[in-house]
Amino acid sequence: MKMKKVNGLNCILLVDDDEISNYLNRLVIEKSGVDVHVEVALNGFAALEYLNSSGQSDARPEPDLIFLDINMPRMNGWEFLNEYQKLKNKKKSDTSIAMLSSSIDIDDMDTALKKYELPLYIDKPLTTSKLEEVFGKCFPVRDN
Amino acid sequence: MNEKPYNVDFRLSAEAMPKAFVLTDQNGSITFTNGQAEKLFLCKRNELIGKNIQTFISEKYHLIFSSFFSHIFNDKDVIPNTHTQRLFISKCNGKEVPVKIELNPLRSRKNSMVLIKIIETDEEWKANHPLHWIVESAPNSFILVDYSGQIVMVNKQTERLFGYTRGELIGKHMDILIPERLRAYHKKASREFYTNAQVRQMGVGRDLFGVKKDKTEVPVEIGLNPVKNNGAYYVLASIIDITERKKIEDELRLYTSRLENKNSELEQFTYIASHDLREPLNSIISLIELFIENKSQELGTDALHQLAYINDSVSRMRNLVTGLSDYARLGKNAEIERVDFNKVVEEVISDLKKIVADSKAKITVEELAVIPAMQIEIRLLFQNLISNALKYKSPNRDPEIKISAQKVKGGWQFAVSDNGIGIPYDQKDKIFILFQRLHGRNEYGGIGLGLAHCKKIIDLHDGKIWVESELNRGSIFYFFIPINN
Repeated sequence: MKMKKVNGLNCILLVDDDEISNYLNRLVIEKSGVDVHVEVALNGFAALEYLNSSGQSDARPEPDLIFLDINMPRMNGWEFLNEYQKLKNKKKSDTSIAMLSSSIDIDDMDTALKKYELPLYIDKPLTTSKLEEVFGKCFPVRDN
Repeated sequence: MNEKPYNVDFRLSAEAMPKAFVLTDQNGSITFTNGQAEKLFLCKRNELIGKNIQTFISEKYHLIFSSFFSHIFNDKDVIPNTHTQRLFISKCNGKEVPVKIELNPLRSRKNSMVLIKIIETDEEWKANHPLHWIVESAPNSFILVDYSGQIVMVNKQTERLFGYTRGELIGKHMDILIPERLRAYHKKASREFYTNAQVRQMGVGRDLFGVKKDKTEVPVEIGLNPVKNNGAYYVLASIIDITERKKIEDELRLYTSRLENKNSELEQFTYIASHDLREPLNSIISLIELFIENKSQELGTDALHQLAYINDSVSRMRNLVTGLSDYARLGKNAEIERVDFNKVVEEVISDLKKIVADSKAKITVEELAVIPAMQIEIRLLFQNLISNALKYKSPNRDPEIKISAQKVKGGWQFAVSDNGIGIPYDQKDKIFILFQRLHGRNEYGGIGLGLAHCKKIIDLHDGKIWVESELNRGSIFYFFIPINN
């Protein structure tokens, strides 16, 4: 399969405690044919650890897109977002975060979109068409 | 002079009479008197017996009295208890007071006598005055207290409430009715009351108690009224026993907290349904799809069929879970605003225009209302009712749907009628229950959510929804939305 490149997207970080979800999401990303590095963190705390140590080597690239679950042990999605806002990372502004959750609770959607001003709230499961929507919104094709 | 030897029974009954009376001979000479008469005239029996009754009538009424007396005596047709005269008597201390006198001639073969009843009109006025018996029969306890805190007057309810008799209370300090631990507070509060006397509720926001004769405490509510009479200040306390109310309040508090617990349990359940249960279902669906995609070449027809069934079942389960949480979330964060029902229905029909066109449906909308309601929920309500009318159409004719509204007592009643397949009479109430379906899944799709949603939406508006239907002829769904002023 011919791999294509999304402008500005080199690494995706999947933050989810459910390994089946991570497995499926990775498959969907591969199936979409986009050439991108995929990293997995099993909770918010692991995601923060990854972010703090990323960017120093090619093996741990800084993520351009984070898919974030809500319910996770140790540090859930909301707690992660609180900590993330405190991070001093010059690349932070280039990173997009999309909520990816099984919750269809209106309060969760409101919290993500209004309180944390995330660009997207995606209802699981991730599909190639939902993925295209994320790419379109977070990495628009710019005319040179 | 001594009384005539009346027998013992007569004497005892005479003493038990609540009214003052005397007996005289036909000349007016007193031959008998009861204790009440002694009290009234303020002199002893032996000072009365033998004297002429005229002696005790104020001088200016002598003439009136004697003509009254002789008239009554000479008239053979006189009816007992009907001859009364208002006049003044002169008491033994010289004081003159207004009375009502009632004369009853008693005739026997041996002699004739007159029974004279004397009623102090002040007493009579008090006993018959509406205010007096209003106070006496009031459900509140009334206590009149003077400036020093002494009890001046109490009513019947006070005796009942505190278990004391009137005699035990009048003249006592009112502290006798206040639990010891509250006396200091009461003293301070009453000083403040006298410096700024006005009608008020006592101890607003705090629990007040009275103490009964048997030392038990009773929760009370007290209203205070300053009263001025003949230059003296009094306070009239009106006291209500709130034992029952307290009990009910306690019970209510308990029920409320139980309900709150149940409610938060339900909310948790809803969240679990909308998140935790959906996640594994989503994974199963995705994995089955992947499996079929990758392995379809290697699988036999039977295996593929079975996988398709698994997929259907899991998908249905996901829809049920989603439906359940949709149902639970309905009305959450909803706000009441002015809703133009005409506009809502117009938008809903516009959303459904493809189905409307495909089914060749004719929809008539009459003038609807603009009333306070939950906008999004009302929209969902019409969406469900109109979609149902389109979905359950008769195979023999094009759907005709009519939407109307009418002002009724206390609110608005709306109707959505169709000419569809109708609902069997015995199923009429079942249709509003969550996940209840009247048809097989292969006949009509859906999970049995729409009308349950409608019912909940109307419940959220404190309204009512019902259906009238005739099988194979059509249904009319009615709902009522109350308007609170």
